[in-house]
Amino acid sequence: MSKIQDTVLKRQDENWREDERDHRRVRAITNGVKNPGRPSVGNVKKVLETAVLVGSDSEEVRRKLAQHRETGSWAQGRVEYAFYKILLSMLLVAYACVRYAQYEYNRVKILVLNLAYNPSNTPQLIRQDVLKLPKLPKRLAAILETKPDGDVGGGVGGVLNDGSELVAWSVSAGIKHLILYDHDGHLKRNVDDFRSNVFHKLSKFYDPSNVPKFAVRVPQWNKVYFNTPGTETGEARKVAIEISLLSNRDGRETIIDLTKTMAELCAHNEMKLSDITMKLIDSELTQLVGHEPDLLLYFGPSLDLQGFPPWHIRLTEFYWEQDNDQVTYAVFIRGLKKYASCKVNVGK
Amino acid sequence: MAAEQERAAEAVERVEKELRHLQKQTRQRRPNPPIWWSYHSVRQYLHALKIWVWSCILELSWIHWIVFQVQNMLLRILQVGPVPRHVSFIMDGNRRYAKSLNLPTKSGHEAGAWTLLSLLASCKNLGVKTVSAYAFSIENFNRPREEVELLTSMLAEKLDEVARRALDRESELFGVRVRVVGERSLISKALNDKITHVERMTEASDSMVLYVCFPYTSRNEIYHAVYDAAERCKYHGQPVEDIDVENFTNSMFLGNYSNKCDILIRTSGHTRLSDYMLWQVHENGVVEFTNTLWPDFGFIEFFIMLVKWSFLTCLQRRQLANTPLRSQVFNLLKKNLLPFKHKKVSYEDLPEPPQAVSIILRG
Repeated sequence: MSKIQDTVLKRQDENWREDERDHRRVRAITNGVKNPGRPSVGNVKKVLETAVLVGSDSEEVRRKLAQHRETGSWAQGRVEYAFYKILLSMLLVAYACVRYAQYEYNRVKILVLNLAYNPSNTPQLIRQDVLKLPKLPKRLAAILETKPDGDVGGGVGGVLNDGSELVAWSVSAGIKHLILYDHDGHLKRNVDDFRSNVFHKLSKFYDPSNVPKFAVRVPQWNKVYFNTPGTETGEARKVAIEISLLSNRDGRETIIDLTKTMAELCAHNEMKLSDITMKLIDSELTQLVGHEPDLLLYFGPSLDLQGFPPWHIRLTEFYWEQDNDQVTYAVFIRGLKKYASCKVNVGK
Repeated sequence: MAAEQERAAEAVERVEKELRHLQKQTRQRRPNPPIWWSYHSVRQYLHALKIWVWSCILELSWIHWIVFQVQNMLLRILQVGPVPRHVSFIMDGNRRYAKSLNLPTKSGHEAGAWTLLSLLASCKNLGVKTVSAYAFSIENFNRPREEVELLTSMLAEKLDEVARRALDRESELFGVRVRVVGERSLISKALNDKITHVERMTEASDSMVLYVCFPYTSRNEIYHAVYDAAERCKYHGQPVEDIDVENFTNSMFLGNYSNKCDILIRTSGHTRLSDYMLWQVHENGVVEFTNTLWPDFGFIEFFIMLVKWSFLTCLQRRQLANTPLRSQVFNLLKKNLLPFKHKKVSYEDLPEPPQAVSIILRG
């Protein structure tokens, strides 16, 4: 079925340069442009403005108001409505207060954790941490996020740095497959920069004359790159880690492309309808996107999958640290610990 | 007007009675004292005791009345703000619950079903348009045969119950449309007929749709959508290029609600989706994980999640909205009325700078 693959790849290639996605997408409510989980006074003010001024979503409330207007008891309906609106805003303010305390608590916890787990470029320490665990995930995935350009670790450079740090940790932990996802595909588009970034990071961790080999795979273009640009010669040697770079394009749209291809083949009688099975779709998507990861790390304040390929998160374990906003080793190792302690029983 | 109010009051009374009846169904016996030197046993005992004490307190009718009224009031407050369109539950933890109370598995599932019914009533009061629940996964067929049979027979029983309430004008679930989605070819014909019958019975109602996912997996759902799209192209002459994310999504099991699940609640502490609502949640849905076992998942916890959702939604709506009227007016005034206008400066208009002299060449 390599024909299916080729057609899908061709379809994907056509419009990969659309990079305005980030401006168009609606983020999850827990993960806006500015951290919404942090209840500043400005945020609370904004919330109250919407809560009080915007009408209700509920049909019932609207119907009741209209009814009151018709029957002439307009004032009664309005007063009742206003009363509930005031109670709602009080409720939201109360929630914001509780949330504030929670936020501060979480931040202190993260600070302490970051002090406790700090490998400072030493692979031995990471390996020691990992050796205590009974099992490791075979494939690890991580969702990276672009921060605003002005911030510390913001912009594309920040994403590249975070990605290469994760690669270094994974190599030290002994994980062979790493999937890096970023919604807009910055990593993919700057794959050469990313490779040299990874090389630099690894040479900080290891002996610079003998840096572990790595392979970077971009499933969207069906390409594999070895090591840094210009030093691809060592291909024959076994790589220490394989890195897949994914973006939003590999999610819903790839499934749609696959559907189109199959529909076309069916319509031209090159394939029977009964040939379309779960198994075929699964194997095609594995070829086109990759395998399902075992553990997904998210380094934002609260879980937001950002369009990670839906077919590939079936049994994936998620880990994120509440109210954290940085790519830190503490989250990485705690995620591995969580994975080691969890038990998966498919259906049983 | 007076007659109508009286009728409303009567309806409320009926609902209360029904809830009390529901409470009685799940009534607990006083737990046996634990083995005092075993930590695990003591914890189990305390849990059972808590449930027992609560059920005793709630049996007093006036306390029950107050609780009911307060719940309704709280929901009415939330109702005037943003309301989620699609709420989904993964009902995990029934067996562990039964085990912790030393009860047979059946009563764990029974208690879970009652929890779902009471949460459904809350959702209905709030004005949620769609509720879906993960009743049975295709993988669950790997469980022991007795349990599979038990779950299937319970589904039939509970569907009848829901349908009865959905048609009963006085019930709090009046007007719920029931749909069972999933790989229906895997269940017996008798059950299939029954399900179709129930679906037909409640077809006309539209105030809320309840999707029971039985035997369902999300990958299966995506597969069906792919298959259907291919079929449409082959036999119904739909051009291939017409397939896009939107109509692909709409052809899934949940129809128009397939695009997004506003809140997905998974109980009992696992942080994975277990092949449920992958397509609906992976873009920007909110997933709430909680450590409570499903039968223990009560109104209060649900309400807190709703408040959180409401808060964050208000914030996002405000951020997504274009500049509000107030600041538009302010900007307009600033531009036109106030005297301190920001003048545009042109380089040529500046006066000549003094002569430039270098130190080195002096003298």
